Amino acid sequence: MKKSFTQIILHVFLLSGLVIVVLPMLYMLSTSLKPNGALYEYPPKFLPALDEVTIENYVYILGQGKFYINFLNSVFVAVASVLLTAVIATALAYVIARFKFPGKNILFGFIVLTMIVPGMTLIIPQYELAVKLKAINSLPGLIPFYVAWTISYSTFMIKGFIENIPRELDEAIYIDGGSVFDVFRHVIIPLAKPGIASVSIFNFLTAWEEFAWANTVISDNVKRTLPIAISGFFGQHQFTQWGYVFALSVFSLVPILIVFICCQKFFVEGLTSGSVKG
Amino acid sequence: MKLTNKNKMQIFILLLPGLLTFAIFTIYPIIKLFVMSFFEWDFGSIFNQKFIGLENYADVLSDKYFRMAFVNTLLYTVVTVPGQMVIGLGIALLLNKVIKFKVGYRVLYYLPVITSWVVASLIFRYVFNTEGLLNYFLMNILHLTSENVRWLDTRAGGLCVAMLLGIWKGIGWNMVVFLAALQTVPSELYEAAAIDGAGAVKKFFHITLPSIKGTILFALVMLTIGGFNVFTSIKMITGGGPAHQTDMILTWMYYKAFSTGEFGYAAALSFITTLVLAVLAVIQFRLMSNKDN
Repeated sequence: MKKSFTQIILHVFLLSGLVIVVLPMLYMLSTSLKPNGALYEYPPKFLPALDEVTIENYVYILGQGKFYINFLNSVFVAVASVLLTAVIATALAYVIARFKFPGKNILFGFIVLTMIVPGMTLIIPQYELAVKLKAINSLPGLIPFYVAWTISYSTFMIKGFIENIPRELDEAIYIDGGSVFDVFRHVIIPLAKPGIASVSIFNFLTAWEEFAWANTVISDNVKRTLPIAISGFFGQHQFTQWGYVFALSVFSLVPILIVFICCQKFFVEGLTSGSVKG
Repeated sequence: MKLTNKNKMQIFILLLPGLLTFAIFTIYPIIKLFVMSFFEWDFGSIFNQKFIGLENYADVLSDKYFRMAFVNTLLYTVVTVPGQMVIGLGIALLLNKVIKFKVGYRVLYYLPVITSWVVASLIFRYVFNTEGLLNYFLMNILHLTSENVRWLDTRAGGLCVAMLLGIWKGIGWNMVVFLAALQTVPSELYEAAAIDGAGAVKKFFHITLPSIKGTILFALVMLTIGGFNVFTSIKMITGGGPAHQTDMILTWMYYKAFSTGEFGYAAALSFITTLVLAVLAVIQFRLMSNKDN
């Protein structure tokens, strides 16, 4: 009896906290379902009246050709950055975890240091570099910079996963006359896969929502990624069309939600493997 | 094991893409940043730079806008870091005890974390609008104020909204990290304490907190870095206004670089920030490894 009472109290607390956390998200959703004219309604209402509910904002967004372009731009940049980072970081992590080579400690120290320093502080020289590389106002030009920002954290995390793979498995390959590449292909990649997956989910999130850099270097409408498109909607007219802003926001959240719900297990694993050690 | 030349070559090939990426996109910019900070380096006149020694650094340190931005960032970090840690840990403690719907709670509490900063900032801007929902609620339903609170165009209001957003968005991350830590605390410790007649509060301070010390320090380091990184929320919510009073270090740096074109000044500012953070992080890491031993 006492036990179930405690459980009820716990749920009451958790639910009231949840209401506060979820309320802003629900408000975004409800605003996106209101007719556009009602957005400056006073008094403001949390929910639209039932007969008011409309999908006109969504229809408007879907009717705009540039929505599809912005969406595909985001998919392209995020997927390409994630794949490139996964390959480069795994190779780097493998070598650092398994071999001795000159400058190894310096390299690892550098990786840790770049994890600490905010990426934004390098935005000025990176901008200058992008000008030199003709990567300004270029969609593929975003990719190497995203890779450079995510590679340190990724290498650090994947290295942790690789160190947990028993070295005997490497030895078995070497005894059979296999090479470093063979170990990489047949031992490291298959066994570090969960680690690579969880890191990649975070990298996807990072690239998908990146705003500051893309907003700085991309100027053409058709080259914009979704966050830039959303911020462009906001403040485009004297009065922000909040219904459009939030309908587009909801669309931008869908891929993230899908990835998040499908990969829950990897998500938690990736988050906690760095924080809880023995 | 002795490596054959073939294997040495393969190791080099595996290292190469990573080293090249670092060299071009990180190390070169770091050096460039350092060099730029000693020059009068104006955007638009890339071929016309003048060496001015430490003048940019002197400018930054004597600039009242920089000081304001620094104070704002410090304030933001000091409020949001403990704020989200305490709430996140609190929820993790509750969640650790709950039997049903654990996964459901975890997913829903995590939603703000995966919401992008742009979208989250716009939601907060809309909610805290002068004629928005929150003010209506405070004034006409709770009767806490007699007029609309100016959240978005005053220094106190703007900082307040940014901090609330920072805390709101960070709770879920802290919850997941602390929940994992709590699950590693051996239950025998609690059982032994219960036999000794220890109450819940005593258990928390004498068993739970010391057991998750490592995780607390980890979160502290990560969140401090995150606090200094605050950018998008300020840019979208207040734009640094009114009159740069809500600017953070990075938004002020961005403004100087891309609105006034003073790359040299902004480079010096970046370098100072980097140094402050690196020193801070080294101290925190030291603390962490000492605690581990």
